[in-house]
Amino acid sequence: MTRAQQTISIALLLSSLYLTCFLGFVPFSPKIQDEIIPVLPFWGLISFGSYLLFKLGYGVFTFNDVPEAHKELMAEIELARVDLKAKGVDVGND
Amino acid sequence: QLDRLVGLTMLIAATTIFLYYTIWTLFMPFVDQPHFSHAFFPPRVWAIRIPVILIILFSTVIGSFLSVVMIRSNRRKALKAKK
Repeated sequence: MTRAQQTISIALLLSSLYLTCFLGFVPFSPKIQDEIIPVLPFWGLISFGSYLLFKLGYGVFTFNDVPEAHKELMAEIELARVDLKAKGVDVGND
Repeated sequence: QLDRLVGLTMLIAATTIFLYYTIWTLFMPFVDQPHFSHAFFPPRVWAIRIPVILIILFSTVIGSFLSVVMIRSNRRKALKAKK
């Protein structure tokens, strides 16, 4: 089972569960049915977005600079550029 | 040091947005109307309108960026094929 298949099947499962609740096939108290259930997808989206932002911010916050790795990386990029250009690949212009 | 500040800002923004939106959508319906905390939140229709507007805005930006890049690359390819 590929990752795409896994993701799609989980997404389908959650959507069908949500749809049964949304269309009224599961009895809820009227307050929950009218006010909470329509908002759930948006809440999920916003929570997912803020979770991603949190992860990003945490990574940026705890990342320490590595100047030697930077120099090494730049040198490797130059080498690769020269090499590929000699072989005829379009390496763009910087 | 600036990037640490950016990271911290993102962290605080993410937490604030999550907490505010969760309280707004999941807790406020159960709080009776005269309670003072309702003053902190706009009417609940906006809890749906704001994400929808953001989604439309976001997809517009991404869509236009994608189309500009694709048109540019096609133009370059056509130019090269003509040579």
